[in-house]
Amino acid sequence: MIQLNNIEKYYANKGVKNYVLRLVTTTIKQGEFVSIMGPSGAGKSTLLNIIGMLEEPTYGTYEFMGEDVTSLNERKRIELYRNHIGFVFQAYHLIDEMTVYENIEAPLLYKKVGSSERASRIADLLDRFNIVAKKDLFPNQLSGGQQQLVGIARALAAQPSIILADEPTGNLQSAQAEEIMELFKKLNQEDGITIIQVTHSEKNAQYGNRILHIADGVVKEDVTVA
Amino acid sequence: MFKLNLKIALRNLFRNKVYAAINIGGLAIGLTAFVLMLLYINHEESYDTWDAGLKNVYQIRERHSFFTPDNKEHLQESNESRVGNLIRQKVPQVIAVTKVDPDWDFRTDNSVSVGKAEPIAVNRMKDADSSFFHVFKYRFIQGSESKALSAPKSVVLKQSLAKRLFGEDIALGKVIKVLAWQGDEGTDLTVTGVVEDSATPETAGFTAIMRTGNRDRDPDNPTNSNYCQIYARVNNDTDLELLNQTLKKVYIDYKKSTAPFKKIEYRSYFADGKYLELKALPLAKVHGNRPFEISWLEKLKPVIAICIFLLLVSIINFVNLVTAQSVQRAKEVGVKKVMGAYKQQLIGQFLLECALQSIVALFLAVILIEVLLPSFNTQFHVELSFWYNPHLAGMLLQLFGLFTLVTLLAGFYPAWILSNYNPASVLKGNYGDSLRGVTLRNVLVVFQFIISVTFIIAISVMHLQTNYLNNKDLGFERSNLINIRSGYDQSLVDKIKRIPGVQYVATTTQVMGNTFNVPQEIEYNGNKISLNTVTISMDALSALGVKLLKGRVFSKEYKQDTINTVVLNEAAAKLIGKNPIGKSYKIINQDKMLNFQIVGVIKDYHNEGFDKGVLPTLYKVTHLGGTSSTNNLIVKLNSDKSAAIIEKIKTEWKRTYPDFLMEYTTLNTAFDKVLENNNRFISMIMLFSVVSVSLSLLGLFALSTFVAKRRTKEIAMRKILGASNMQIVGLLNKTFLVLVIIANLISWPVAYLVVGKWLSGFAYRIDMPLYPFLLATIVSIIIAVLTVSIQARKAALGNPVKALKYE
Ligand SMILES: Nc1ncnc2c1ncn2[C@@H]1O[C@H](COP(=O)(O)OP(=O)(O)OP(=O)(O)O)[C@@H](O)[C@H]1O
Ligand SMILES: [Mg+2]
Repeated sequence: MIQLNNIEKYYANKGVKNYVLRLVTTTIKQGEFVSIMGPSGAGKSTLLNIIGMLEEPTYGTYEFMGEDVTSLNERKRIELYRNHIGFVFQAYHLIDEMTVYENIEAPLLYKKVGSSERASRIADLLDRFNIVAKKDLFPNQLSGGQQQLVGIARALAAQPSIILADEPTGNLQSAQAEEIMELFKKLNQEDGITIIQVTHSEKNAQYGNRILHIADGVVKEDVTVA
Repeated sequence: MFKLNLKIALRNLFRNKVYAAINIGGLAIGLTAFVLMLLYINHEESYDTWDAGLKNVYQIRERHSFFTPDNKEHLQESNESRVGNLIRQKVPQVIAVTKVDPDWDFRTDNSVSVGKAEPIAVNRMKDADSSFFHVFKYRFIQGSESKALSAPKSVVLKQSLAKRLFGEDIALGKVIKVLAWQGDEGTDLTVTGVVEDSATPETAGFTAIMRTGNRDRDPDNPTNSNYCQIYARVNNDTDLELLNQTLKKVYIDYKKSTAPFKKIEYRSYFADGKYLELKALPLAKVHGNRPFEISWLEKLKPVIAICIFLLLVSIINFVNLVTAQSVQRAKEVGVKKVMGAYKQQLIGQFLLECALQSIVALFLAVILIEVLLPSFNTQFHVELSFWYNPHLAGMLLQLFGLFTLVTLLAGFYPAWILSNYNPASVLKGNYGDSLRGVTLRNVLVVFQFIISVTFIIAISVMHLQTNYLNNKDLGFERSNLINIRSGYDQSLVDKIKRIPGVQYVATTTQVMGNTFNVPQEIEYNGNKISLNTVTISMDALSALGVKLLKGRVFSKEYKQDTINTVVLNEAAAKLIGKNPIGKSYKIINQDKMLNFQIVGVIKDYHNEGFDKGVLPTLYKVTHLGGTSSTNNLIVKLNSDKSAAIIEKIKTEWKRTYPDFLMEYTTLNTAFDKVLENNNRFISMIMLFSVVSVSLSLLGLFALSTFVAKRRTKEIAMRKILGASNMQIVGLLNKTFLVLVIIANLISWPVAYLVVGKWLSGFAYRIDMPLYPFLLATIVSIIIAVLTVSIQARKAALGNPVKALKYE
């Protein structure tokens, strides 16, 4: 599903190239649950952003679902966001002026999903994540864990084939973190959704089936979780 | 999607109530001024649009020198009456031609009576020939177009006048008695029609069209001429170019063939660069092109500029506040982008928010207009209405256009900025990009302050100039002086003179409110000098209370005064030389040499607006060399009970002219009228200035709130590092202070030019004062510092720990 070839990323500062990523080559297949790990500043978020097409690599090729996306136009990219990619953020990034319901609904509106279909999907997600009672609350009326559940529900609403999560549990206590990780595992195993997450926690990484260790922009290790 | 965006917009507004109120309120005020101006422009534009057929009606203008202010030839609205017949017979495109009285402003009202009833004063009753309603197709409520003016001694009333005269009764067939001047015996006219009041104002406006018969024929003697307005209705699809060519040819032929009868050499029509011209002007263009008048559009230009500025100030507030708070929305943009929102969709969303605010502002503006319109109407002597506007549909269309324009102007830039946020960086929590738009914001703040500072300077200078004019010595005593619209009738004058409390009764062709200048060339010591001649009665100069500088004024004691003496004003004396008293000059009148002796010099006195200087003038009582007269009967009272005395004068008048009403004005009123336009302009500028300055300050206030908020963390850090509150207040002020100072530097020359131009329109003016400039600068700085400091202090006094934790 994802094919990275010799991806490089550097920032030029006063003529000096500061490499963030160096010659990253890897393949991620449909249905995998990959955790990216490494010390702070290693380039994890950068790699995830490149996979999410939020940043462009300085060099190298990237194929998403068999299509070269390094030279993708804006419209095509937005089509991919609408139909294939869901993002989950460490800081949840729910829209403050929207209720829980509306937050989950938003991506469906952009995707132009019909209203009855929308209602049933949202009802389904609210039900599945046990937040039906909260649907009319605003984000600032929820706990961090609840906000992240909404964040994931929102990412799932458009029925993406892949979820990209940058430290999704970074702001949460371990009990809540476990709940989120269980959810990811279930989504991966039952719905076959590909998941790529960045995490600092070895424990969280164990929920997946593959770990990419990165240091100084280089993939040091690529291990399969038993 | 639309619904959701609308919801978000509303929630955002409610969350930032103060900011929304400033945005919307400011915009509402800006729009109110702008829409009022639109209404006024629409009103002026609507002249002569009451009937679609008027596109075929033309006003004929002839070039001649009769009754022009400078005695030179101009293309005029009044034509020699013979032109009417000429066009009727010789121009094939023309279907109908009518000759009608012009609006002379020195004319008295007509006195109209029905049966034995008391007469009432009616203005704008016009005499016309039989064709008036064939040219102007008014809708007849009573009578018919074809019969109305078919016989002489008939009159067609406007609906409103019919109501005044006859109430709800049928007017058709009734007889009214009309007197045109006090000695008039009156003419009985039969009402042969009543026409509908027109929906829009008219150039050839009237309350009644009379056919007395005077307009039917031209003077018999070819050297005599009579002047009137001429309007023609032409065929559909007439080409104006072609029409004017025909007119020109016909006119030149006519002039050529009639020259011998007038004992004029045809060649003389072309002497000294003069030429012959007869032109048709489409009726729609007439109101905007009155001869000897600045067109309404020209007069309105400063107001238009001010209204635009005001609207700009409020739009700038809008843009500044939205971009300032864009940081708050950055996250939303980032998230929506990764959900798959197109950039246009985001722009659309933010424009929608802006549109929401502008539509609310527009509604508020409409309410404000309804509230303000009555006082606006009295101020500007118009009858504008919003809901009952005959062009409501067009008006609403304009409002929609305005709404779109404002929304785009105010919303597009912020929407662009917002939708350009890069999701990767804003989602990382990096709002560094929020610096974007700061430069523009600063430019806009500077622009706002330029406008405000210029306004402050302008109103101070205007205030000084107005004071100067109000307290200016007019050169005559205007208190206890009244002016009756009447010629000098010795028997009436004698009666009025006998009333106790009346000091002088006199006539003059030159008094504030009604001046009739007659130019004359005199010869003094072999030099030719142009002077303005004023014919007066013996007591006029004493009645006016002018100041005598040298010699004497006229008096009965000097027989000579009715023979060949004159009094000069100072301006004229200057042209004569050092010691004019006792000197003589001569004039050539009809091949005869006449001698006049100068007996006195008076101080210049004002009789027109202060935009005009006092002309070098000679005053004479004698009939030698010709006289002129106009409807001025001035009465000087030497008692405080003027109201009672005026009543007695009215009684005397009524005894003499039972069927003609007395019209009079006090010289105080005339003086106020002279200042009126100026004062109205100044009070408007004053109002706009206050509004614009307050709007700018509100904007600055809100902007500093946001800036202070955004820098909360920085302020907290600095406090922890040991900065004092004062230092923090200073820190926030510094940015704005620099902007205000830049604005002042730019405003000074701008204001100097603009205000200088305004002052140069006065013949009597103050020198450009310096202190309004200093005042404006100091005021703007103080106000800006105060506004910002209130916000800065709040931020500075906040608990730093809280602020940092919040982050
Ligand atoms: N806009 C930029 N300009 C210059 N350097 C940058 C920029 N963005 C990121 N970097 C650098 O790239 C490197 C990798 O950053 P990245 O955010 O990918 O790290 P990370 O592995 O996610 O770290 P963390 O675990 O702290 O989130 C860092 O050293 C950072 O300084
Ligand atoms: Mg990171």
